Amino acid sequence: MTTATRVLIVDPSQESREVLCALVERMGCQPITSARTAEAVELTRSSRPHLIVCDEDGDLSRDSTGLAELQRAAARTDTPVVLLGTVKFPRLAQHPGEVVAKPYHYAPLVHRIEAALANRRAAA
Amino acid sequence: MPSLFVIQGRDQGQRYELSEPRIPIGRTNDNVLQLHDTEVSRKHAELVRSGDAFLLRDLNSSNGTFVNGKPIKERQLATGDQIQLGRTLLLFTGVKEDATLHDSRVDIIPAADAHSSRILHSISPAEGSDLLATPADQTQSPWLAKARSSLQVMYHTAIAISHTLDIDQLLARIMDLIFEWVEADRGCIMLKDEETGALAVRVRRQRRGIRGDERIAISKTILDYVVENTEGVLTSNAGEDERWDPAQSIMRMGVREAICVPMKGRYGVVGVIYIDTSLTPQMAMEQTKKFSQEHLKLMIAIAHQAALAVEDTSYYTAMVQAERLAAVGQTIATLSHHIKNILQGVRGGSYLIELGMQDHTKALGGEEEPAGPVDVDSAKKAIATMRKGWSIVEKNQERISSLVMDMLTFSKEREPEPEPAELNEMVSDVVELAEARAKEAGVELVYRPGANIPTLMFDPEAMHRAVLNIVGNAIDACEGCATCRVTLRTSIEEAKRMAYITVEDTGIGIEKDHLERIFTVFVSKKGGRGTGLGLPVSRKILQEHGGRIRVASETGKGSTFTLEFPLVLPPAEGEHEHHHDVQMPDEALPGETYVQSEAESA
Repeated sequence: MTTATRVLIVDPSQESREVLCALVERMGCQPITSARTAEAVELTRSSRPHLIVCDEDGDLSRDSTGLAELQRAAARTDTPVVLLGTVKFPRLAQHPGEVVAKPYHYAPLVHRIEAALANRRAAA
Repeated sequence: MPSLFVIQGRDQGQRYELSEPRIPIGRTNDNVLQLHDTEVSRKHAELVRSGDAFLLRDLNSSNGTFVNGKPIKERQLATGDQIQLGRTLLLFTGVKEDATLHDSRVDIIPAADAHSSRILHSISPAEGSDLLATPADQTQSPWLAKARSSLQVMYHTAIAISHTLDIDQLLARIMDLIFEWVEADRGCIMLKDEETGALAVRVRRQRRGIRGDERIAISKTILDYVVENTEGVLTSNAGEDERWDPAQSIMRMGVREAICVPMKGRYGVVGVIYIDTSLTPQMAMEQTKKFSQEHLKLMIAIAHQAALAVEDTSYYTAMVQAERLAAVGQTIATLSHHIKNILQGVRGGSYLIELGMQDHTKALGGEEEPAGPVDVDSAKKAIATMRKGWSIVEKNQERISSLVMDMLTFSKEREPEPEPAELNEMVSDVVELAEARAKEAGVELVYRPGANIPTLMFDPEAMHRAVLNIVGNAIDACEGCATCRVTLRTSIEEAKRMAYITVEDTGIGIEKDHLERIFTVFVSKKGGRGTGLGLPVSRKILQEHGGRIRVASETGKGSTFTLEFPLVLPPAEGEHEHHHDVQMPDEALPGETYVQSEAESA
């Protein structure tokens, strides 16, 4: 894994972002952070991350339009998304494996992130 | 939203919103609408939406699908239709038609313009019953007298029904009315159990002079007939009536004169009313009867009224219960979500500590005890990681503690415990506590204590919580703003006998349409970070002190929260506590929250 692998972390909680950054850095990846999905959509376009890890609370809209928009932006660049939380709207979950229910443990999350990045590399 | 409301059956009180284009209905949990009814088939029926119309289709169910009592295979539903599936009865409400909403053909004319209208007579509801009073001349015909008397009974029944939502009280009153107007010796009202369908006695009466310990024996044959055929019966001698088989129970028990009528409401029989009387041997010989067809008709009418009231009351109770459950569900969901986030924070902090410990072990050469040269830099980094993790754990401990305190404060009615306390000191404590959080968020926290504020009587612990919640919100509101400052001020106004704490922020402000709802419990614009309890708790504390919270806000510029409460000085030595009369400003009553909008503050 090279340092050029970028992981976009979307989480409204600063402490969660810190923990996820530490975790991603230890995997040899470069973290990019955002508190909200709206900002994350822009970062997906500009920074072209290899993976997006997004907490559902990063979307403040009532009907998850922020998450849907982020997923569309991710789909345009073939970027996998790992969603943290409960998906209230089934249309947002393309694959059940993309969702990690809260409260999650970090070790399984690390495996999920590694698997998503490995799939991405294999598909490239 | 179109809906189905369960008015009878195990799911009574449940409301199902019909949002899907196709809604399978059945007993198993793979149906969108699952009914807990053993007489409902696994795949019983389906509702198909086409625009605003709903088509109900039976899916070859074992017991059939009924709309308004008629079996159907397929039928388009209209608002008010009753759907029977097994023992479950549902009420359909379709898309609201707004054709009548904008009808402008009715005008309410202001009093000044209504000069052509004047009140000629007025009459109270109590006087309305005089309409049915017996005329003074007593020259009316016997038929008219009976009709008038029956009307009076119905009138009083209607009044009794309108006065209570307690079913037992209502039934007792109806039984009293029956005994006032019908010459019965004994009587009872039985209601049907919704689960089992069995009749159970709810009210029993006997005329004075009748032995109280005498049991009322009612023929099951009669009860079954009344319930199944929804017909009232008058029995005086079973042997003369061909409907009763002499071999059945009625003959074994002997016969009195009795009336048994079904309580038939809108959706079925909810129970029966039974009255009886015994005949003297002479009356029996002369074939004299105490109960007549007129009595039977009147009893049927009373029973119908009573049934409507029982239905209304039980549906009202079911709806209240459903709303309560929904509120409890919302509370649990909101709190669970917040607790889940706190737990996630604890796990995150713990994970960092774990990583730090692993790194520290490696820095020490892979063993607990240093085996080789110690990598000092790595060891320092590992300790920093552990510290960061621990600070996250501590922060979340604080959050859970704060949540529990807010929940306790909000949930219990309590009197504040005022004691002599220093306002400036209490606010200073809040500032000290919030400083770390403000620093982390890059917010400048400014405190300007008021001069010459004497020792006041208030509950310092509660007030501390009220101010801390508002300061916490103010810090959060500044996130991402160009200028991030929260300013706290204290002051008193001797003339108005009021004390003030002002929290002003340069944050994002509150949108005008959200301003009215900021004190509503569980309403938060902070997503996963907000419990929606902070402001309601602060308001409650101020209300308990006889004060209130005023808010002025402008979107993009910030908000000012003013906490004000009556200025009460501690009693002088040997004197009782002295409360001043406080005149709150006109715009709100004491204890109310006055929300000042952007326009007012400008």
